[in-house]
Amino acid sequence: MNENREGDDGPSAPNGTTLVSYLLGGLAFWGGVGWVADWALGFSALFLPIGMVIGLVGGIYLIYAQHVRS
Amino acid sequence: MGADVSVVAASEEGCHIFNDFGCGFEPPGVSLFFPTPWLDFGLPGTSGLNKYYLVAVVALLVAAAFWYFTTRNAKVVPGRGQSVAELLVGFLRDQVTRTAIGKEGDRYLPLMVTLFIFIFSMNIMGLIPGLQLPVTSNLAFPAVLAIIVFLLWNVIGIRHHGFGGHFKARLVPSGVPGWILPVVVPIEALSNFIIRPATHMIRLFATMFAGHLLLALFAAAGFYMFNPTSPMGPLFGAISVGYSGIALVGFLVFTAFELFIMAVQAYVFVLLSSIYIGEALEGAH
Repeated sequence: MNENREGDDGPSAPNGTTLVSYLLGGLAFWGGVGWVADWALGFSALFLPIGMVIGLVGGIYLIYAQHVRS
Repeated sequence: MGADVSVVAASEEGCHIFNDFGCGFEPPGVSLFFPTPWLDFGLPGTSGLNKYYLVAVVALLVAAAFWYFTTRNAKVVPGRGQSVAELLVGFLRDQVTRTAIGKEGDRYLPLMVTLFIFIFSMNIMGLIPGLQLPVTSNLAFPAVLAIIVFLLWNVIGIRHHGFGGHFKARLVPSGVPGWILPVVVPIEALSNFIIRPATHMIRLFATMFAGHLLLALFAAAGFYMFNPTSPMGPLFGAISVGYSGIALVGFLVFTAFELFIMAVQAYVFVLLSSIYIGEALEGAH
């Protein structure tokens, strides 16, 4: 469809915003879930770091799956 | 109490360096961006009619006047004004819509040109003497533009790929094994539907806000440090003029830099809008 874009940077040229928003989104969502879990279950900080790690890994995985591998 | 009175007196006539009032430098704060309203309706969450409205109207008139004077008698062989307008449109077509969307992007070129000119003229209001307030330094203005682009992004995606197709393409990344989906779908949702439009507006707002604050700081510091009739003697007076000169040079350099930033930020806003629209047209990646 996009003649100009074919072969530029592979399938979909990543832009900085998308990458940053994946990383931030991952941290914010899963970190937030962890924080809520901590608050609901009465831990001070157990699930928050776990959630942030999951979110970060998920965000990096999304970048990899969408912009590096394909 | 006596000292307080002299401080107030000093700051009323302008406080300068090397004074014997004991007053200090007051840097410009965020109050710059909350001008006193001329007409306040007292509605909650509103600012009333203030300087931003006036400057926004002026920016709109500038943008309209630009097109009126450059295209009012358009010819096949363009004159000087028309050349400028054509250069601008050609530049945006080749650098923004064709690269980000492709040939189909020509349909969205009018929107992008309008956005660019409007944002640029709103930014440039920060440098016009007398107005000196970039309209985009108030989050509301970039927010409206970014929300328009965000809604358009959804409308185009739904129109080209159907409701389900658009949201599936935006939420479910292709080529990801099913057991990972619960982890990545919320990230995609947050990233595409909240963080991206938010960063789209905040990028423009924050650069204009910071740039205007920086210029105001240089101007205020230059004024504060200019005290040739210092009570501490002529030597300190001369030093203060030297300081003030440095601040003036900084002000001029940063004004030129700010002009560049204003153009770049308008360009970046339009470029990102094109990238988003191109992505919505493309569907799943």
